[in-house]
Amino acid sequence: MMHWTILLAAEAAAEGGKGGLFDIDATLPLMAVQFLILVALLNILFYKPIGKAIDDRDTYIRTNQADAQERLSKAESLAKQYEQELMDSRRQAQALIAEAEADAQKIAAQKLAEAQQEAQVQREQVQRELDQQKQEAMQSLEQQVDALSRQILDKLLVA
Amino acid sequence: MTMLNALTLFHSLPLAELEVGKQFYWHFGNLELHGQVFLVSWFVIAVLLIASILATRNIQMVPAGTQNVMEYALEFIRDLAKNQIGEKEYRPWVPFIGTLFLFIFVSNWSGALVPWKLIHLPEGELAAPTSDINTTIALALLTSLAYFYAGFSKKGLGYFGNYVQPVSFMLPFKIIEDFTKPLSLSFRLFGNILADELVVGVLVLLVPLFIPLPVMALGLFTSAIQALIFATLAASYIGEAMEDHHGEGHEEH
Repeated sequence: MMHWTILLAAEAAAEGGKGGLFDIDATLPLMAVQFLILVALLNILFYKPIGKAIDDRDTYIRTNQADAQERLSKAESLAKQYEQELMDSRRQAQALIAEAEADAQKIAAQKLAEAQQEAQVQREQVQRELDQQKQEAMQSLEQQVDALSRQILDKLLVA
Repeated sequence: MTMLNALTLFHSLPLAELEVGKQFYWHFGNLELHGQVFLVSWFVIAVLLIASILATRNIQMVPAGTQNVMEYALEFIRDLAKNQIGEKEYRPWVPFIGTLFLFIFVSNWSGALVPWKLIHLPEGELAAPTSDINTTIALALLTSLAYFYAGFSKKGLGYFGNYVQPVSFMLPFKIIEDFTKPLSLSFRLFGNILADELVVGVLVLLVPLFIPLPVMALGLFTSAIQALIFATLAASYIGEAMEDHHGEGHEEH
């Protein structure tokens, strides 16, 4: 293969005086210039806009991600806070309930004591009245007995 | 010479023919230009420009269609440049390296995929611009200029310090390197693409149907690889020229 190309190239060069594989001429500098122009054009048309799009997207994603991260942590802290508050209020409610129960019990006991005392007082009063009436009755009975016995005595003495 | 005779025998067959080293000359004053190279390179440039315009005509946050493809290409190029030049300084070099890659890639594939043979020129034939030595030398010399520019703009005259790093007896080798770099760049690309086209041409000449297909596929592969190699080496030369030798920045390329 190499032989062919070299032979052919040599032959072509020998035949026409010019041409061949290693024919270096003004194509070289013009190609270089053309390539540099292509670099400049592609820089404007391709690398800058597409690179900008990629970078913009990167920053967009990065900021969004940071934002989301921040929001997530905020939400987590909020949730923690709420949980704490919930626990606090539950404890408070329990304390309140306990307090109310204790109060109620105290009031009930107090009322009960009061009622018992009143009942006692009433009973005592009734007892006293009863006693008095009994005594009065006894007294009147005694008087009657006295009177009767005197009448009996009178009758006896008269007779 | 029997081979040559065989070749001339094949020339008389109507199926296919092989032309090597024949140019379609244009004359400008006393300048001579290879017309076929310019014609195809204009085609390549047009393809690139049209693709760019299509991609950037309506840029959207969520890319679709051409924009997506071109964004993929740009990210590929950026990665390439970033790997070779480094995170800090790669950005200004993306257009140069990217255009090297895109131009060579589209040139190579247009040479392999577009049936240029259907267009007849008075002399010579249309082929990939990269199969002409002028193009590859132009690109290689531009690469040399680019890395000199990179080195001098970064370090000023301190760039010559690179020539005695890491030890001073490297000086002659480093100077030779400045000549071998463009030479190897240009001949590697030129040789690969021309050889690929010739292999396909010869196979088509011998067996016109089906047999050349695997070689053509292989040619597409080599073409892509050559574009990648050229761009990677250019980026690596530029990166090397800007590399800091004072720090720990020793990277093997």
